[in-house]
Amino acid sequence: MTPTLTQYLVISLLQIVVVMGFVMTLVPLLTFAERKVIGYVQVRLGATRVAGGLWGAQRGRTHQSRTFTGGLNGFMWWLGRWPVISIFRGLPMFIADALKLLTKEDIVPIEADKAVFVLSPALAMVAAFTVFAAIGFAPGALFYFPAKFPYLGGLPFYGFLTDLNVGLLFILGVASVGVYGIVLGAWASNSKYPLLGGLRSAAQIVSYEVPLTLSLLVPVVLTGSLNFNEMSTRMATDIPVNGLVGIGRTLLMFVGFFVYTTCGFAETNRTPFDLAEAENELVAGFHTEYSGMKFSFFFLSEYASMITVSALASAFFLGGHYLLPFGLQPTWNHFFQNSPSAFLAWTCTPSILWFLLKIFFLLFVFLWVRATVPRYRYDQLMDVGWKFLIPYTLVMFVIAALLRYAA
Amino acid sequence: MRGYAPILLLLLISMATPPIVWGLARLLRPKSPNLNKYMVYECGITPTTGAREKFSVRYYMVAVMFLIFDVETVFLMPWAIQIKELALFGLVEMLFFLFLLLFGYGYIWAKGALTWE
Repeated sequence: MTPTLTQYLVISLLQIVVVMGFVMTLVPLLTFAERKVIGYVQVRLGATRVAGGLWGAQRGRTHQSRTFTGGLNGFMWWLGRWPVISIFRGLPMFIADALKLLTKEDIVPIEADKAVFVLSPALAMVAAFTVFAAIGFAPGALFYFPAKFPYLGGLPFYGFLTDLNVGLLFILGVASVGVYGIVLGAWASNSKYPLLGGLRSAAQIVSYEVPLTLSLLVPVVLTGSLNFNEMSTRMATDIPVNGLVGIGRTLLMFVGFFVYTTCGFAETNRTPFDLAEAENELVAGFHTEYSGMKFSFFFLSEYASMITVSALASAFFLGGHYLLPFGLQPTWNHFFQNSPSAFLAWTCTPSILWFLLKIFFLLFVFLWVRATVPRYRYDQLMDVGWKFLIPYTLVMFVIAALLRYAA
Repeated sequence: MRGYAPILLLLLISMATPPIVWGLARLLRPKSPNLNKYMVYECGITPTTGAREKFSVRYYMVAVMFLIFDVETVFLMPWAIQIKELALFGLVEMLFFLFLLLFGYGYIWAKGALTWE
């Protein structure tokens, strides 16, 4: 039963609400997780220990590095003593952060170009969110509306907005619009630090876009598809796992994954490539003059593009909706497809669960790297991009093409 | 074309988000204008010149090189999907194309365009 156009649009609207809701909850949670992960890795007395309530963090008396306080602060501290609940420690910081951004005074410098200054964070955010239209989160329908459901009865509710056959091309095209937001915002500020930061950021994003696309072409040439669902299906079933070609394919995808992740870090301006906002040189980079909600839109778009990069990596390198990465799934399927164990047979089927788990893992890697690796120097960054990654990905691409041709 | 309708819908919704959120924040945030606040930031001193001055030509060169290489990846994409259908002819053609590209790449490297000082 195919839906009429109006039914289709209504379902699309519901799907947009779900996807936007997912992203809008994941981004704040990601900032919370970032505090926690970095706090634990670098032993910072931040969100891992401060149990603070909303009305002050350290109201009690301190005794042997432990603070005894009453009220909400004390309650949060008490909660933090329990193994699982302790993840909520630092939650008030996160709430306070959101409140601060919402109630901050909005300042537009007199010398700034007002219209561009206001439009550019919106542009960055729109570009970062429109991308989610083409990301296939689930392999097919998440559920069907029950027959008695008003107007939409019996229709499927998909785990993606559209199943574009040029999905990857669409995502790369729309995501690269985001760089305009950064450059225009930096230029419109009419201030020196943002201009330098914006130029750096633009040059960096633009330089790493080439190896990023080339490394994504490796799985594309191996499977011959740009579509999310088709990609993970073909990766798990179509390509024969015969000897040398199968091993070569897995090795290529493995190496390609690391190249892609490196470029993804540079694309999203994350550490170790966050030279656009190197605090010791450029104050805060392209968003120095931004405050309040305008700043938080840049922030939002950066974290949303982190999710996009992770989603692309998990779809194109880590097997997408199937369990195993790097095209190892056919081997797994061969052994366990007809297994008597229901669980093992289930691991051979596609599911949204695997996709989300991979995204969450990669997001954790983003935070992990930020806590571990120091920042690059700018000339080193450009050298790695232009002199190493581009020839490297070109060679990988040619090998992948030959492999595909031989298979 | 039906598949593109949700994209348009998402685009419209995300374009509507910034005005709504900013409008909401306008109700919550304080406003106390002060001339010093509206000056651009320059480590506490009064900026004497505007920011829009000359900057390094390397940024411009990076942009030009990006244009070349990005067009190249766009050329590669349809071929990467059709590789089986294009058979040996397509493979040889594309290897030839990549060889030419590599030649140009070597040239800009030798000219020092890739070296960042």
